[in-house]
Amino acid sequence: MAAVRKHKRVAAAQPGFLPIKSSLDGNSSVIKRRKRVNKNKKKSWNRFSDIQDVEEFLDDVRLQERATGGLIAEKTDDTLFFVDTGETDEKDTQEQTTVKKGKHSKPLRIDLILQPDSHIQAPKNVLAFQQPNAKKQRRISERAAKLAAMGVLPRREKLLQLRSAAAASGLSVKEHPVANNNPDRAFYDLWSAGTPETADPYYLEQTKKKLVKRPDRLNEKPSVLPAVEVIAPGGSYNPDFFSHQDLLREAHEVELKKQKAEEKLARQLAVNEDKATEESTFKEQVEGLIEEEEIEPQEPEGDTEDTVMGPTATQEKKTEKQRKKEKAQRIKDLQRKVERQVIDKQQQLFQLRSISASVKKQEQRTEMRQAQRKVQQEAQKSMPRRLGRLKFQTPDLDVQLSDELASSLRSLKPEGSILKDRFKSLQKRNIIEPRERARFNRKYKLKYSEKRAFREIE
Amino acid sequence: MGGLQKKKYESGSATNYISRNKARKKLSLSLADFRRLCILKGIYPHEPKHKKKVNKGSTAPRTFYLLKDIRFLLHEPIVGKFREYKIFVRKLRKAYGKAEWSGVQRMKENKPAYKLDHIIKERYPTFIDAVRDVDDALSMCFLFSTFARTGKCHVQTIQLCRRLGVEWMNYIIASRSLRKVFLSIKGIYYQAEVLGQTITWIIPYQFAHDHPTDVDYRVMATFTELYTTLLGFVNFRLYQTLNLVYPPKLDGQGEFSLKSECEEDYALESESYSEKLAALSASLARTVPSVEDEEAELDHFPAEGLNTKKKKKKKKKKKNKKLFEGLKFFLNREVPRESLAFVIRCFGGEVSWDKSLCIGSTYDETDETITHHIVDRPTIDKQYINRYYIQPQWVYDCVNGKILLPVEEYFLGVTLPPHLSPFVEESEGDYVPPEKLKLLALQKGEKPPEEDEEEEEEEDDEDDEEEDDQSEDEDEAEDEASLAEMEEKRAQGKSLSVKVTPGKVKPENRMRTEQEEKAEEKRLAIMMMKKREKYLYDKIMFGKKRHVREANKLAAKRKAHDDANKPDKKKKKKKC
Repeated sequence: MAAVRKHKRVAAAQPGFLPIKSSLDGNSSVIKRRKRVNKNKKKSWNRFSDIQDVEEFLDDVRLQERATGGLIAEKTDDTLFFVDTGETDEKDTQEQTTVKKGKHSKPLRIDLILQPDSHIQAPKNVLAFQQPNAKKQRRISERAAKLAAMGVLPRREKLLQLRSAAAASGLSVKEHPVANNNPDRAFYDLWSAGTPETADPYYLEQTKKKLVKRPDRLNEKPSVLPAVEVIAPGGSYNPDFFSHQDLLREAHEVELKKQKAEEKLARQLAVNEDKATEESTFKEQVEGLIEEEEIEPQEPEGDTEDTVMGPTATQEKKTEKQRKKEKAQRIKDLQRKVERQVIDKQQQLFQLRSISASVKKQEQRTEMRQAQRKVQQEAQKSMPRRLGRLKFQTPDLDVQLSDELASSLRSLKPEGSILKDRFKSLQKRNIIEPRERARFNRKYKLKYSEKRAFREIE
Repeated sequence: MGGLQKKKYESGSATNYISRNKARKKLSLSLADFRRLCILKGIYPHEPKHKKKVNKGSTAPRTFYLLKDIRFLLHEPIVGKFREYKIFVRKLRKAYGKAEWSGVQRMKENKPAYKLDHIIKERYPTFIDAVRDVDDALSMCFLFSTFARTGKCHVQTIQLCRRLGVEWMNYIIASRSLRKVFLSIKGIYYQAEVLGQTITWIIPYQFAHDHPTDVDYRVMATFTELYTTLLGFVNFRLYQTLNLVYPPKLDGQGEFSLKSECEEDYALESESYSEKLAALSASLARTVPSVEDEEAELDHFPAEGLNTKKKKKKKKKKKNKKLFEGLKFFLNREVPRESLAFVIRCFGGEVSWDKSLCIGSTYDETDETITHHIVDRPTIDKQYINRYYIQPQWVYDCVNGKILLPVEEYFLGVTLPPHLSPFVEESEGDYVPPEKLKLLALQKGEKPPEEDEEEEEEEDDEDDEEEDDQSEDEDEAEDEASLAEMEEKRAQGKSLSVKVTPGKVKPENRMRTEQEEKAEEKRLAIMMMKKREKYLYDKIMFGKKRHVREANKLAAKRKAHDDANKPDKKKKKKKC
């Protein structure tokens, strides 16, 4: 800017410079009396120095630039003047072309008015052209170019290349994990010795990817029962007569037991037999009325007797004599007891045999009990445990009665459900706890109402 | 007395256990997820010894877990997956609610899934552990594979179960390890010996399903999820041990491709291969061509007695494995095809069925070389002369008896002998049904004491000469077997018939004296018993005798029953 201004001034100072407003020159020649002021402050400089001539000059320069696009003094003669050679035919030809173009090419007057008439270009908005983070991005791109020159590709590029390569070969690179129930899933040798530890154990441990060792205790089975219990020989489709009878008897006994339990429950829950008859209801209604007179007089007597219950606080104090007597008695008793003990001890010497016998007996009893307990514990191992709210219910025995037995394999009607059998087996082996199907309980009663549309039809 | 007062329920069993709900909260899982996690990880609820202490004074029945177990569960990576899945479901539901179909699509593509491999490895550290525990897995897989695809569980699960079941059956066939079969009213029990482990499983009969309502299907599905993974890995390893290709491939593919014209009727092209595998009629391809087992066992040392015994056992086993070798079966359409095909192929027989019945039949009914035709109907119109028409029970009884039983009792329209359970092990003095006795006698190689049969055969003599020939052949075979048996007994030192030869007098005498001495000793010992011991001894002996007496009684009853039934039977037969 400074350079431009300087240039202008230089131009103005030249002898050939023509100011547009010549009148200004005349005014400037009038000399005023100078006022004396301090010049040590900037404020006063601005205030008292006369810069009008400079401003006027600059205004003039700006006007020239606006109007002609530059200083007139610097313009060549060709641009300022032209030689008038009279009218030419060109005008006609021009008119013809304009007419041909029609209304469309002619701009509206209002647009022309609004057109900027200055010859100076409007200054550009610098911010509109500025890029944010330009420096950073430039650096990044420089770095990328450098890496590319070295042959290192960015990750995105690499993945893209892989994907395109895979698409070309027909394989999918991104391994979608196969669902566990996919019928075409592949298997491999899980137990081969060379299962490679893919990474450094320390790394796995630190990144929490290392599997925790399974305690050996967990590999023990919760029951000693076999996984598949084979049905008794009577359960054959074409059974031996006796084994079939055995199975039937077993089933029968189970049924009997169940029935007995049911009967017992029914008995316990049975309502007392004497139901209300007309006679009894009448008696009940009348009860207070007839016998009242007889009962009433008895009541007060009973009351008086009842009130004299419990210990009374009126115990008499013991006398000195009594106390002494009691104490002597106590001491005597104690002495007798001690004496008796001493004698007993002496006598035990003679009872040695019986004592040893009793000791032996006791030992035997404990041994027997130990054995029993052991047997019980063994039996417990194959029993279903109580693992939850419900007890294990043994499923019904699958039995076909003699007349239900099929005559041939073709006409055999299978009994029971294997699914249920497996499920019960899992429960029996304490692998899952017995549960009930969750029942749906409606909290509030349903309210039925007819829809209005329906009602209207009726 | 110094020290702080101890508070109740702050140490001991009260702190060793944790209730289910607390455990659930500690893992921050829903109850269903917690249950699933416990099943997958093999954490079972525990019954505390002192419930009141554990329950902090309350006696309400609760489910308890060991706190250490729950702490162990905290480390499981699957827990995180469960939580992820929960979020996934929530997002999906939201997307559905807002009808953002593209979002739904994207989410479904990125559905979180978890793997159970590490759990299997953890729960079954060695392969043998896994094989030992495969019973449950097999039963469950076979059960699920028979389910209808109606939405009780995922169709994919059913398909996977079917695939694994077929793979297992094919392995059993290839390794010839089936031992016992039992047709019960519930389903078919099988027992096999795989790598020294006895494995029992049950397969339901086909089309026998009602869905019980008191079974928690979600729990069962979780078990199946675990078991399918286990069975898959076990199958892979088992196939490896036999040098079979996994996933299984049929051997001699060219032969099959020729016959593929009618396959379109059964299955889609994509499924026909697995269907053919499931037909169990063809053997599997091996990675290495199979080496004859015989060559491997050439170098044996006949010197030691113990060794020979073992060898005999081995020989017997081997013979059992080739029970049906050389026999050609044809299954009529009313018999349970899969079970029979499986059993027959397990013992080296060849099997086929009608082309229209199932895919994978290898020869037609008209084939002249068929030896046994299995039929389960009272009569059949067109009979070929050079084959036996028998009922399916024969196959199963043969397998259980480990010999080829005489076919007469299993002909068409004949009342079958009872199908005995092979899982019963009778101890000494128990009642043994006469059918089993007969079987045992047959196994030993003795001729069965059958008066009725002979009479009948005489009657039927004119009818079929062939059968007679066959029975003669059998007689010869039995004679040979009995000879072998006698020799065996002689080797063991038991006297068959009393022969007084100068050379053998002494050892026999020694034996007898030994026995006598033993008896005398026993008698003296009984005499010397104390009163209490004597009492116990008497009790034991009485119990034993009672056992025997009961068995005798049952036997007598049976005899009476049979005698009573015999005239009826004969009448019936004559009518026939």
